[in-house]
Amino acid sequence: MKTLITVGMALLSLAASTTYAKTIEMNVKGLVCAFCAQGIEKKLRKLPATADIVVSLEDRLVAVALKDGQDIPDAELRKALTDAGYTVATIQRTETPIAEIRSRIKRSKP
Amino acid sequence: MERWSRSVVWIALTAAPALALAKPIAFANGTTVMVEYGADTMKEAQVFYAPQFNFSVGGGHVEFGNEKSPKAERITYARLNYLLHRWNLETAQANLFTWGGAGTATGNGFRGTQIAANAGAQADYETRRVYASLKTDWQRADAFDHRVDTLQLGIAPYKHSYNGLATWFLLQGREYTGGVRRGIERAALVRLFKGGTWVEAGLTTEGRIQAMVMINF
Repeated sequence: MKTLITVGMALLSLAASTTYAKTIEMNVKGLVCAFCAQGIEKKLRKLPATADIVVSLEDRLVAVALKDGQDIPDAELRKALTDAGYTVATIQRTETPIAEIRSRIKRSKP
Repeated sequence: MERWSRSVVWIALTAAPALALAKPIAFANGTTVMVEYGADTMKEAQVFYAPQFNFSVGGGHVEFGNEKSPKAERITYARLNYLLHRWNLETAQANLFTWGGAGTATGNGFRGTQIAANAGAQADYETRRVYASLKTDWQRADAFDHRVDTLQLGIAPYKHSYNGLATWFLLQGREYTGGVRRGIERAALVRLFKGGTWVEAGLTTEGRIQAMVMINF
């Protein structure tokens, strides 16, 4: 019985550790011009794990919705943003759906 | 020694990088197409491709003066633009670009075709409400020596969003050397952009039209 509990807990722990984030939110420096920022979307959309993208100049935010069970390594994200001409300040993986981030950005528009 | 020095200068100029008043480098693997009509004193078209985020290669064609002018030159050139430094700040971006290249020139003040060199630099600073840029662009051949210095100061009436239309009001001062025009040419411009399309137009204090269209893709 003890063995079964141990195995069960190990499986639960494994399942928890392999849960993937839905969205990557990046705080980006230098994000002031929409014309110049077009490259961000072009670069990130080419990555196979990207499902959708939201860019907000107001929040200095670039959010990437991930395809189910997929992720993008931080190094790849930083390279994409550097290639687009920007600097990534922070990268955060969240469970927040991209639609919610989009609505939040619309609400915060001046 | 003098010949060697000239060669070094020539190599430095052609190896150095360039751009118009917007940024001459879009993004890695991006292409920029720009056409400018400068108040009856200058017309220019450029196409650049950026293999990396910090440099682009391409070419352009520029005409100084007009057909009725006693001095008019037409220059077709290849050019390398280079981003010397970019400052990505919390709420601003600043850039320092340089460029250089070579081409051929024809004109109504000389016979045949001459080899022409070009070089220049641009510094710009931009927030979501304020824009400033200073650019110098130099074109030289045996028969002429043109330098065009341009200062632009702009304000945005509102902070544009990523998917929205951006509007800027700009004041521009431009000075030509090389006999194209005397004195500083002043202009008021409106700049609009949305997505990868940029349009800029206005009038000089003499009522002449200045316009520019640029596309990034």
